[in-house]
Amino acid sequence: MTGNNSAPEVHADNPMLEWHDLTVAYGRRPVLWNVDFEIQDPCLFGIIGPNGAGKSTLLKASLDLVQRAGGTVRFWGQRLAEVRSKIAYVPQRETVDWDFPVSVMDVVRMGATSRLGWFRRGGKRERELALASLDHVGLADFAKRQIGKLSGGQQQRVFLARALAREAEIYLLDEPMAGVDAGSQEQIFSILAELRDQGKLVVAVHHDIRTAAQWFDAIALVDMRLVAAGPTAEVLTPENLTMTYSGRLGILDEIGEAVERRGRTS
Amino acid sequence: MIHLAFVMAFLPYNTLVVASGVAAVGCAAGVIGTFGVLRKRALVGDAAAHATLVGVALALLVTGQRNLAVLLVGGLVSAMVAIVLLVLIRKFTRTRDDAATAIVLSVSFGLGITLISGMVSRGIPGSGGLERFLLGHTASLTANDALLLGTVSVVGVLCIVVGLKEATMVAFDPDFAAASGWPAATLDLVLIALIAVMVVVGLPAAGAVLVTALVVIPPAVARQWTERLIPMLVIAGLVGFLSALSGVVISSLAVQVPTGPVVVLVATAFLVLSIFGAPCRGILWRTRAVSSLSSEFLTKTEVGVATPTGTERRP
Amino acid sequence: MSWLDSIGPLHGWAIATAVVVSACCAIVGTPLVVRRMSLLGDAISHAVLPGLVVAVLLGAQPGGIGVLVGATAAAMVTVWFTRFLYRQAGLWEDASVGVSFTTLFAAGVLLVTISGSRVDLDPGCVLYGILELVPFDTVDLYGWDIPRAFLSASFVLLLVSCGMWCTWRWQLFTAFDCDAAKAAGVPTVAVTVGLLVGVSLATVAGFVAVGAILVVAMLVVPAAAAERLVHRLHHAVWLAVMIAVVGAIGGYLLAWRFGTSAAGMMAVVLGVEYVIAILVAPDDGVVARLVSKLVYLWRVQCEDRLASFWRAEESGYARHESTVGGLVDRWLRVNGQVQKQENALVLTPQGRVNAEVIVRSHRLWETWLGRHVDLPVDHLHPPAEWIEHHLGEQVRKRIENELGNEDVDPHGSVIPREKR
Repeated sequence: MTGNNSAPEVHADNPMLEWHDLTVAYGRRPVLWNVDFEIQDPCLFGIIGPNGAGKSTLLKASLDLVQRAGGTVRFWGQRLAEVRSKIAYVPQRETVDWDFPVSVMDVVRMGATSRLGWFRRGGKRERELALASLDHVGLADFAKRQIGKLSGGQQQRVFLARALAREAEIYLLDEPMAGVDAGSQEQIFSILAELRDQGKLVVAVHHDIRTAAQWFDAIALVDMRLVAAGPTAEVLTPENLTMTYSGRLGILDEIGEAVERRGRTS
Repeated sequence: MIHLAFVMAFLPYNTLVVASGVAAVGCAAGVIGTFGVLRKRALVGDAAAHATLVGVALALLVTGQRNLAVLLVGGLVSAMVAIVLLVLIRKFTRTRDDAATAIVLSVSFGLGITLISGMVSRGIPGSGGLERFLLGHTASLTANDALLLGTVSVVGVLCIVVGLKEATMVAFDPDFAAASGWPAATLDLVLIALIAVMVVVGLPAAGAVLVTALVVIPPAVARQWTERLIPMLVIAGLVGFLSALSGVVISSLAVQVPTGPVVVLVATAFLVLSIFGAPCRGILWRTRAVSSLSSEFLTKTEVGVATPTGTERRP
Repeated sequence: MSWLDSIGPLHGWAIATAVVVSACCAIVGTPLVVRRMSLLGDAISHAVLPGLVVAVLLGAQPGGIGVLVGATAAAMVTVWFTRFLYRQAGLWEDASVGVSFTTLFAAGVLLVTISGSRVDLDPGCVLYGILELVPFDTVDLYGWDIPRAFLSASFVLLLVSCGMWCTWRWQLFTAFDCDAAKAAGVPTVAVTVGLLVGVSLATVAGFVAVGAILVVAMLVVPAAAAERLVHRLHHAVWLAVMIAVVGAIGGYLLAWRFGTSAAGMMAVVLGVEYVIAILVAPDDGVVARLVSKLVYLWRVQCEDRLASFWRAEESGYARHESTVGGLVDRWLRVNGQVQKQENALVLTPQGRVNAEVIVRSHRLWETWLGRHVDLPVDHLHPPAEWIEHHLGEQVRKRIENELGNEDVDPHGSVIPREKR
């Protein structure tokens, strides 16, 4: 966590992100079953699935924000704690209190200073980094505005700028396009594609299959378990989509309930 | 305020020292309370405040010392225990959050009253003086007490000043902070502990029942005037300072009046004035400026995407 | 105990008043808690003080109707003030409650202090009531000397019980889903106002007995405890009343025994009852969950051991040494799942049937996972080790039907058939 600005010497043949038998439970009830996949190289990677399918849970479990019930997550073959400075997270917009008395610039600066050590506020370098990130997302004119006074697309771009200010190698975004108009979506996708071209891995939870097919290089279809994952064209087949979207697999729900009760299903 | 300064010039030295100490408490409570309110922890502080009585009474019972420092340490311990209990109830039972707060608040207060009352009826020395912790009574404070209160307050504010970046990050977006590698849960705990310390230190000024106002009202006032965090902290500190100061001064002039209610009402007066009169957010300003605002809007926000401003609440 | 015998009529009246007051509070407190309005109840209980004081200053009799009206008016002011702060001033929700109750209470205390002898209330007793003095302020009713506080509390109990009885369906519906109730035509605003009026009345009644803060305990704690123990709301109300009454009687007696404040002790007893409730609650009580966990861990151990016997048989070792898990083996023997045969343990026919169930579950789950989840073959065993203990007969049948006629799991082992 404590900042050092040197890159970790971890990029060997290890995949950038690897989920190994990942199972996540809320309380005792499993909500994500045995996700097993690895992402070797930089790409624009989408996590797609119906509502409540565990997509956000997958991201949060990867970041140790929720506890894993089983399995591991590795970045470049290493645990999260060792490579945190190279990872940036963009949470869902609903989790934030938009009435908080901070300006757009303040929020982005938080990203820039998040890599510094304890009690170090940062100075000119952090401010310039924040301004550059704001510029990158096209919000340089809004720097002094309080964050509640922005549209959905603008708010999302502020969060993205905050993540950019971390100068990370892996970006994990939770529903970055939720409540964002089409124009802003295009804009945000372009920025993400740029990041991919610069050699970063961008993983985004997304809800719309059409735009997913258009933008993502690779996709994971998730509905409480990994239905299929790989290059977009290979994964988005009718069979896979049916398996993902046509009604919840009742069995997983039933067994989840039984596990929670510590009993058996009927 | 001019009247206040005028009156203060005629007060005895001891009262001035006490006033400074208590005013420092008000200031620190406003500053630290800002983070508490932003983290939606206002009422956790209230539960802690009601629980302090138990610790204060036990401290007197166990050590026999009437020393303010000893009593306040006892209060801090029981306040932290109450917070832990609240966390445990929320984690291990299905009791609703607000009910849990009300339960911890009232039962711990009841325990405190039981202890104090029992001690008074057994004639334990010093127990009669415990009643001043209910509603606050600064007239009985000594200069040394004020020094203690003032020192703790200054240290509290320093913690916030030094750790401003960390506190802001955790208060604004704990998930991002945790994902970036910061120990968000621990920092949150430190913040709660600071609130508990302020609540305890505010006991002589406002009493257990009303001290939560010191931590909640100044930030509320400040938010009416500014949209930036640092000005908000400064204004909250100032409002807390003035409210507490007024409480002490008035309490020293009319000795039978408990300090707590005065402090609260002064702070509320600030709040009501701010709600109506503050620029941009104030009600008077909004009604007057509605027509000119709406045209200003359409030019400033993104085309086709208008955003509500001010304080319209989602229902 | 000898001291119980010396309870005379004075204590009797005090206890009776406390019982009536706590019953009132429990009745209105239950919907309050269910609707997440506990802290509004807290605010109201603080706010009735200025209402009381103003009413008395305007000439109302303490303990009379005027005071009830004044207090209810103050309660409505609190609710309005809280909403004003939240909606108009844009204050955070919890801060709005905090501001309104401290302000109103402070105003009340100041009024009491300033009006001095004109209002017969001492700020201390505002906080913890004067239950002990209740028997001394009596009213002559048909030749009987009844304490005034008892009368007004009984009157409030009557009002509140009738009100709750008449509007019960509406209260229930609104408590569970306010929006749906409104859509169904229930006058939810009137229901809520009615509830809050009931709360104000109960608070005023409780004020005399236990003061402003401990009345919150009477409103919230019995309801919260009752909810842990029963599931239907009207059962919860009855249970809350019983818990409240026990708290009132127990608290008063203990306070008398130990020479301390009755109000404080009543709150403490209520707290103890709440702790007991969360410990012994049948489903999610602390004790119940601990027991359930232990039972589960034991079952898993036994089933794993049983399955290991079966797998040993399958691979050709008919005998199984009783080495590790001596306690588990003894349990299995006692239950007739295994038996001793020439210094080793083997499965009984009954044990074999049960063991096959476990292995069948395990292998079915591996097969199902292999089909539906993108997992490599060597990753299938650990999840199956876990889930095999949770599959019941119907689910096994469903999986089997779905898989068609799969005889063999992904590792090539035979899936045992379901046996009757």
